Amino acid sequence: MAAAQNIIAIAGNPNSGKTTAFNRYTGSRQRVGNYPGITVEKKEGTANVDGRSVTLVDLPGTYSLTAYSLEEVVARRVLAEDRPGAVLDVVNAGVLERNLYLTVQLLEMGVPVVVALNMMDEARAQGLSIDVKRFEELTGVKAVPAVARSGEGLEEALRAALALADRCDGRSAPLEISYGTDIDAALKEMTPLVEKAGMLAGKFPARWVALKYLEQDEDIMAQGRAASRDVSDKLAEMTGKVAAHVKVTLNTYPEALIADYRYGYISSMLKQGVVKGAE
Amino acid sequence: MADTVVSLRTLEKGQKAVIAAITAEGEMGRRIRDMGLVPGVEVQVMGRAPLEDPVALRLLGFTLTLRNKEADFIAVRA
Repeated sequence: MAAAQNIIAIAGNPNSGKTTAFNRYTGSRQRVGNYPGITVEKKEGTANVDGRSVTLVDLPGTYSLTAYSLEEVVARRVLAEDRPGAVLDVVNAGVLERNLYLTVQLLEMGVPVVVALNMMDEARAQGLSIDVKRFEELTGVKAVPAVARSGEGLEEALRAALALADRCDGRSAPLEISYGTDIDAALKEMTPLVEKAGMLAGKFPARWVALKYLEQDEDIMAQGRAASRDVSDKLAEMTGKVAAHVKVTLNTYPEALIADYRYGYISSMLKQGVVKGAE
Repeated sequence: MADTVVSLRTLEKGQKAVIAAITAEGEMGRRIRDMGLVPGVEVQVMGRAPLEDPVALRLLGFTLTLRNKEADFIAVRA
Protein backbone atom coordinates (compact mmCIF):
# COMPACT_ATOMS: atom_id res chain seq x y z
CA MET A 1 0.00 0.00 0.00
CA ALA A 2 1.33 3.39 -0.94
CA ALA A 3 1.72 5.99 1.73
CA ALA A 4 -0.85 8.72 1.98
CA GLN A 5 1.13 11.87 1.35
CA ASN A 6 -1.61 14.13 2.56
CA ILE A 7 -1.96 12.38 5.88
CA ILE A 8 0.28 13.52 8.71
CA ALA A 9 0.14 11.73 12.05
CA ILE A 10 0.86 13.68 15.20
CA ALA A 11 2.71 11.69 17.84
CA GLY A 12 4.00 12.59 21.28
CA ASN A 13 4.08 11.86 24.98
CA PRO A 14 1.11 12.73 27.16
CA ASN A 15 1.46 16.40 28.19
CA SER A 16 3.85 17.22 25.38
CA GLY A 17 1.37 19.68 23.89
CA LYS A 18 0.46 17.26 21.13
CA THR A 19 -3.26 17.85 21.41
CA THR A 20 -2.81 21.61 21.77
CA ALA A 21 -0.91 21.52 18.49
CA PHE A 22 -3.58 19.33 16.88
CA ASN A 23 -6.33 21.72 17.98
CA ARG A 24 -4.39 24.72 16.69
CA TYR A 25 -3.94 23.07 13.32
CA THR A 26 -7.45 21.83 12.82
CA GLY A 27 -9.60 24.28 14.79
CA SER A 28 -13.16 23.04 14.55
CA ARG A 29 -12.46 20.82 11.57
CA GLN A 30 -12.23 17.68 13.71
CA ARG A 31 -13.88 14.30 13.76
CA VAL A 32 -13.80 12.15 16.83
CA GLY A 33 -14.52 8.45 16.67
CA ASN A 34 -13.20 5.19 17.98
CA TYR A 35 -10.85 2.61 16.59
CA PRO A 36 -12.94 -0.45 15.69
CA GLY A 37 -13.65 -2.62 18.68
CA ILE A 38 -11.67 -0.69 21.26
CA THR A 39 -12.20 2.36 23.38
CA VAL A 40 -9.20 4.36 22.25
CA GLU A 41 -10.33 7.66 20.80
CA LYS A 42 -9.57 8.34 17.17
CA LYS A 43 -9.18 12.01 16.38
CA GLU A 44 -8.77 13.29 12.87
CA GLY A 45 -8.95 16.75 11.44
CA THR A 46 -8.09 18.75 8.40
CA ALA A 47 -5.75 21.66 8.02
CA ASN A 48 -4.94 23.89 5.13
CA VAL A 49 -1.31 24.43 4.25
CA ASP A 50 -0.54 26.70 1.31
CA GLY A 51 -3.84 25.80 -0.32
CA ARG A 52 -3.32 22.09 0.23
CA SER A 53 -5.80 20.14 2.32
CA VAL A 54 -4.03 17.91 4.84
CA THR A 55 -5.55 15.25 7.05
CA LEU A 56 -4.08 15.17 10.54
CA VAL A 57 -4.38 12.10 12.73
CA ASP A 58 -3.87 12.69 16.44
CA LEU A 59 -2.22 9.49 17.67
CA PRO A 60 -2.89 8.48 21.28
CA GLY A 61 -0.33 10.06 23.63
CA THR A 62 2.25 7.44 24.61
CA TYR A 63 5.66 7.27 26.24
CA SER A 64 6.74 4.33 24.17
CA LEU A 65 5.77 2.13 21.22
CA THR A 66 5.78 -1.22 22.94
CA ALA A 67 2.61 -3.23 23.29
CA TYR A 68 2.26 -2.20 26.92
CA SER A 69 -1.01 -0.34 26.49
CA LEU A 70 -3.80 -0.31 23.95
CA GLU A 71 -2.81 3.25 23.08
CA GLU A 72 0.64 2.10 22.07
CA VAL A 73 -0.68 -0.78 19.99
CA VAL A 74 -3.09 1.59 18.25
CA ALA A 75 -0.40 4.18 17.54
CA ARG A 76 1.77 1.49 16.03
CA ARG A 77 -1.00 0.05 13.91
CA VAL A 78 -1.93 3.44 12.51
CA LEU A 79 1.69 3.98 11.52
CA ALA A 80 1.99 0.54 9.94
CA GLU A 81 -1.39 0.21 8.30
CA ASP A 82 -2.61 3.71 7.48
CA ARG A 83 0.92 4.71 6.55
CA PRO A 84 0.76 8.45 7.02
CA GLY A 85 3.12 10.38 4.75
CA ALA A 86 5.08 11.56 7.75
CA VAL A 87 4.87 11.85 11.51
CA LEU A 88 5.07 15.14 13.33
CA ASP A 89 6.49 14.21 16.70
CA VAL A 90 5.67 16.83 19.32
CA VAL A 91 8.23 16.75 22.13
CA ASN A 92 8.45 18.78 25.29
CA ALA A 93 11.78 20.55 24.87
CA GLY A 94 12.11 20.95 28.64
CA VAL A 95 12.29 17.17 29.15
CA LEU A 96 13.91 16.23 25.89
CA GLU A 97 15.71 13.14 27.13
CA ARG A 98 12.56 11.43 28.25
CA ASN A 99 10.48 12.53 25.25
CA LEU A 100 13.06 11.31 22.76
CA TYR A 101 12.49 7.75 23.94
CA LEU A 102 9.35 7.74 21.78
CA THR A 103 11.12 9.57 18.95
CA VAL A 104 13.85 6.96 18.81
CA GLN A 105 11.24 4.23 18.60
CA LEU A 106 9.50 6.00 15.73
CA LEU A 107 12.83 6.21 13.93
CA GLU A 108 13.55 2.53 14.62
CA MET A 109 10.27 1.73 12.88
CA GLY A 110 11.45 3.61 9.82
CA VAL A 111 8.65 6.16 9.70
CA PRO A 112 9.60 9.61 8.39
CA VAL A 113 9.72 11.98 11.36
CA VAL A 114 9.83 15.72 11.86
CA VAL A 115 10.29 16.85 15.45
CA ALA A 116 8.46 19.86 16.84
CA LEU A 117 10.49 21.06 19.83
CA ASN A 118 7.51 22.29 21.78
CA MET A 119 7.41 24.49 24.90
CA MET A 120 10.61 26.19 23.82
CA ASP A 121 9.51 29.23 25.86
CA GLU A 122 9.39 27.17 29.04
CA ALA A 123 12.66 25.44 28.26
CA ARG A 124 14.27 28.85 27.82
CA ALA A 125 12.74 30.06 31.07
CA GLN A 126 14.26 27.03 32.81
CA GLY A 127 17.64 28.16 31.52
CA LEU A 128 17.92 25.41 28.92
CA SER A 129 19.32 26.11 25.55
CA ILE A 130 18.83 23.62 22.75
CA ASP A 131 21.09 23.62 19.74
CA VAL A 132 18.60 22.72 17.02
CA LYS A 133 21.22 22.49 14.27
CA ARG A 134 23.33 20.12 16.36
CA PHE A 135 20.27 17.99 17.10
CA GLU A 136 19.51 17.74 13.38
CA GLU A 137 23.10 16.86 12.54
CA LEU A 138 23.25 14.07 15.11
CA THR A 139 19.84 12.55 14.43
CA GLY A 140 19.36 13.34 10.76
CA VAL A 141 15.88 14.50 11.72
CA LYS A 142 14.47 17.94 10.95
CA ALA A 143 13.53 19.82 14.12
CA VAL A 144 11.43 22.96 14.43
CA PRO A 145 11.26 24.99 17.66
CA ALA A 146 7.64 25.66 18.58
CA VAL A 147 5.27 26.97 21.21
CA ALA A 148 1.97 25.18 20.61
CA ARG A 149 0.05 27.39 23.04
CA SER A 150 0.77 30.52 21.00
CA GLY A 151 1.09 28.79 17.66
CA GLU A 152 4.71 29.79 17.19
CA GLY A 153 6.57 27.47 14.83
CA LEU A 154 3.57 25.23 14.19
CA GLU A 155 3.09 26.20 10.57
CA GLU A 156 6.74 25.69 9.82
CA ALA A 157 6.68 22.29 11.53
CA LEU A 158 3.70 21.07 9.52
CA ARG A 159 5.21 22.41 6.32
CA ALA A 160 8.41 20.50 7.08
CA ALA A 161 6.40 17.31 7.71
CA LEU A 162 4.61 17.71 4.37
CA ALA A 163 7.85 18.35 2.54
CA LEU A 164 9.23 15.17 4.08
CA ALA A 165 6.11 13.24 3.10
CA ASP A 166 6.55 14.43 -0.48
CA ARG A 167 10.16 13.30 -0.54
CA CYS A 168 9.64 9.76 0.73
CA ASP A 169 6.92 7.20 0.28
CA GLY A 170 5.88 6.92 3.91
CA ARG A 171 9.10 5.14 4.80
CA SER A 172 12.60 6.29 5.59
CA ALA A 173 15.69 4.28 6.40
CA PRO A 174 15.13 2.90 9.91
CA LEU A 175 17.45 4.12 12.62
CA GLU A 176 19.77 1.24 13.50
CA ILE A 177 21.38 1.62 16.87
CA SER A 178 23.56 -0.83 18.73
CA TYR A 179 21.94 -2.72 21.62
CA GLY A 180 25.20 -4.28 22.80
CA THR A 181 27.08 -7.32 21.54
CA ASP A 182 24.58 -10.02 22.55
CA ILE A 183 21.51 -8.36 21.05
CA ASP A 184 23.36 -7.13 17.98
CA ALA A 185 24.65 -10.63 17.25
CA ALA A 186 21.15 -12.07 17.60
CA LEU A 187 19.69 -9.40 15.33
CA LYS A 188 22.29 -10.21 12.73
CA GLU A 189 21.09 -13.80 12.64
CA MET A 190 17.39 -13.12 12.99
CA THR A 191 16.95 -10.25 10.53
CA PRO A 192 17.80 -12.33 7.41
CA LEU A 193 15.23 -14.95 8.48
CA VAL A 194 12.53 -12.28 8.69
CA GLU A 195 13.63 -10.84 5.35
CA LYS A 196 13.74 -14.18 3.58
CA ALA A 197 10.27 -15.12 4.75
CA GLY A 198 8.95 -11.67 3.90
CA MET A 199 7.41 -11.68 7.36
CA LEU A 200 5.34 -8.50 7.88
CA ALA A 201 7.23 -7.01 4.95
CA GLY A 202 5.69 -3.76 3.80
CA LYS A 203 4.48 -3.09 7.32
CA PHE A 204 7.64 -3.08 9.39
CA PRO A 205 11.40 -3.20 8.72
CA ALA A 206 12.88 -6.71 9.11
CA ARG A 207 15.39 -5.74 11.79
CA TRP A 208 12.60 -4.09 13.75
CA VAL A 209 10.49 -7.26 13.63
CA ALA A 210 13.48 -9.24 14.92
CA LEU A 211 13.94 -6.63 17.65
CA LYS A 212 10.30 -7.01 18.71
CA TYR A 213 10.77 -10.78 19.03
CA LEU A 214 13.72 -10.10 21.32
CA GLU A 215 11.53 -7.73 23.32
CA GLN A 216 8.90 -10.49 23.47
CA ASP A 217 6.33 -8.14 21.99
CA GLU A 218 3.12 -10.15 22.01
CA ASP A 219 1.33 -8.13 19.36
CA ILE A 220 4.12 -8.49 16.79
CA MET A 221 4.76 -12.13 17.72
CA ALA A 222 1.09 -12.92 17.06
CA GLN A 223 1.22 -11.15 13.72
CA GLY A 224 4.46 -12.96 12.89
CA ARG A 225 2.99 -16.34 13.81
CA ALA A 226 0.02 -15.71 11.56
CA ALA A 227 2.33 -14.74 8.71
CA SER A 228 4.77 -17.63 9.04
CA ARG A 229 4.54 -20.21 11.77
CA ASP A 230 7.93 -21.85 11.12
CA VAL A 231 9.95 -18.67 11.04
CA SER A 232 8.10 -17.34 14.06
CA ASP A 233 8.96 -20.48 16.05
CA LYS A 234 12.60 -20.20 14.99
CA LEU A 235 12.76 -16.54 16.03
CA ALA A 236 11.17 -17.34 19.38
CA GLU A 237 13.69 -20.12 19.90
CA MET A 238 16.60 -17.79 19.15
CA THR A 239 15.15 -15.22 21.52
CA GLY A 240 14.99 -17.86 24.23
CA LYS A 241 18.70 -18.57 23.76
CA VAL A 242 19.70 -14.91 24.01
CA ALA A 243 17.44 -14.46 27.03
CA ALA A 244 19.06 -17.41 28.79
CA HIS A 245 22.53 -16.12 27.94
CA VAL A 246 22.02 -12.56 29.19
CA LYS A 247 20.28 -13.88 32.29
CA VAL A 248 23.41 -15.82 33.21
CA THR A 249 26.03 -13.31 32.10
CA LEU A 250 24.39 -9.98 32.91
CA ASN A 251 21.46 -10.97 35.14
CA THR A 252 19.04 -9.11 32.89
CA TYR A 253 16.74 -9.86 29.97
CA PRO A 254 16.74 -8.69 26.35
CA GLU A 255 13.89 -6.19 26.63
CA ALA A 256 15.61 -4.37 29.50
CA LEU A 257 18.94 -4.33 27.67
CA ILE A 258 17.33 -2.88 24.57
CA ALA A 259 15.66 -0.11 26.58
CA ASP A 260 18.94 0.70 28.35
CA TYR A 261 20.74 1.06 25.04
CA ARG A 262 17.99 3.28 23.64
CA TYR A 263 18.34 5.62 26.59
CA GLY A 264 22.10 5.38 26.29
CA TYR A 265 21.88 6.43 22.65
CA ILE A 266 19.71 9.42 23.60
CA SER A 267 21.77 10.60 26.53
CA SER A 268 25.06 10.34 24.65
CA MET A 269 23.56 12.27 21.76
CA LEU A 270 22.29 15.03 24.04
CA LYS A 271 25.67 15.27 25.71
CA GLN A 272 27.28 16.08 22.38
CA GLY A 273 26.30 19.71 22.65
CA VAL A 274 22.54 19.54 22.03
CA VAL A 275 21.31 20.68 25.43
CA LYS A 276 23.04 23.21 27.61
CA GLY A 277 21.96 24.75 30.87
CA ALA A 278 20.00 23.85 33.96
CA GLU A 279 20.24 20.40 35.57
CA MET B 1 30.15 9.14 45.87
CA ALA B 2 30.06 6.18 48.23
CA ASP B 3 29.26 2.96 46.49
CA THR B 4 26.55 1.27 48.50
CA VAL B 5 23.70 -0.22 46.53
CA VAL B 6 20.40 0.16 48.32
CA SER B 7 16.72 0.07 47.47
CA LEU B 8 15.23 3.35 46.30
CA ARG B 9 12.69 3.00 49.10
CA THR B 10 15.35 3.63 51.74
CA LEU B 11 16.40 7.07 50.48
CA GLU B 12 15.70 10.13 52.63
CA LYS B 13 13.98 13.25 51.40
CA GLY B 14 16.46 15.43 49.50
CA GLN B 15 18.91 12.58 48.99
CA LYS B 16 20.39 12.01 45.53
CA ALA B 17 21.40 8.68 44.04
CA VAL B 18 22.20 7.04 40.73
CA ILE B 19 20.14 4.11 39.52
CA ALA B 20 22.19 0.91 39.57
CA ALA B 21 19.66 -1.65 38.39
CA ILE B 22 15.99 -2.22 37.69
CA THR B 23 14.99 -5.66 38.84
CA ALA B 24 11.34 -5.59 37.82
CA GLU B 25 10.42 -7.74 34.84
CA GLY B 26 7.44 -7.86 32.53
CA GLU B 27 4.96 -5.02 32.42
CA MET B 28 6.15 -3.28 35.54
CA GLY B 29 9.74 -3.34 34.30
CA ARG B 30 8.63 -1.92 30.98
CA ARG B 31 6.59 0.77 32.61
CA ILE B 32 9.41 1.80 34.93
CA ARG B 33 11.81 2.05 32.00
CA ASP B 34 9.34 3.94 29.82
CA MET B 35 9.26 6.61 32.51
CA GLY B 36 12.99 7.15 32.09
CA LEU B 37 14.14 5.14 35.09
CA VAL B 38 17.17 3.28 33.74
CA PRO B 39 20.63 2.52 35.12
CA GLY B 40 22.93 5.54 35.18
CA VAL B 41 20.19 8.13 35.67
CA GLU B 42 20.44 10.41 38.69
CA VAL B 43 17.37 10.73 40.88
CA GLN B 44 16.58 12.90 43.87
CA VAL B 45 13.83 12.26 46.40
CA MET B 46 11.63 15.35 46.49
CA GLY B 47 9.24 14.18 49.12
CA ARG B 48 7.03 11.49 50.50
CA ALA B 49 3.36 11.36 51.21
CA PRO B 50 2.08 10.54 54.70
CA LEU B 51 2.67 6.85 55.44
CA GLU B 52 5.76 7.14 53.21
CA ASP B 53 3.90 6.20 50.06
CA PRO B 54 4.05 7.35 47.30
CA VAL B 55 7.47 8.86 46.81
CA ALA B 56 8.12 11.86 44.53
CA LEU B 57 11.32 11.77 42.50
CA ARG B 58 13.10 14.29 40.38
CA LEU B 59 14.98 12.98 37.34
CA LEU B 60 15.91 14.21 33.87
CA GLY B 61 14.19 17.52 34.58
CA PHE B 62 10.77 16.27 35.63
CA THR B 63 9.03 14.96 38.72
CA LEU B 64 7.72 11.43 38.91
CA THR B 65 5.73 9.76 41.64
CA LEU B 66 6.19 6.09 42.44
CA ARG B 67 4.65 3.66 44.85
CA ASN B 68 7.00 2.02 47.30
CA LYS B 69 6.22 -1.37 45.82
CA GLU B 70 7.56 0.00 42.52
CA ALA B 71 10.51 1.70 44.20
CA ASP B 72 11.47 -1.67 45.68
CA PHE B 73 12.47 -2.85 42.21
CA ILE B 74 14.91 0.00 41.77
CA ALA B 75 18.40 -0.38 43.20
CA VAL B 76 20.42 2.81 43.55
CA ARG B 77 23.96 3.79 44.42
CA ALA B 78 23.79 6.34 47.19
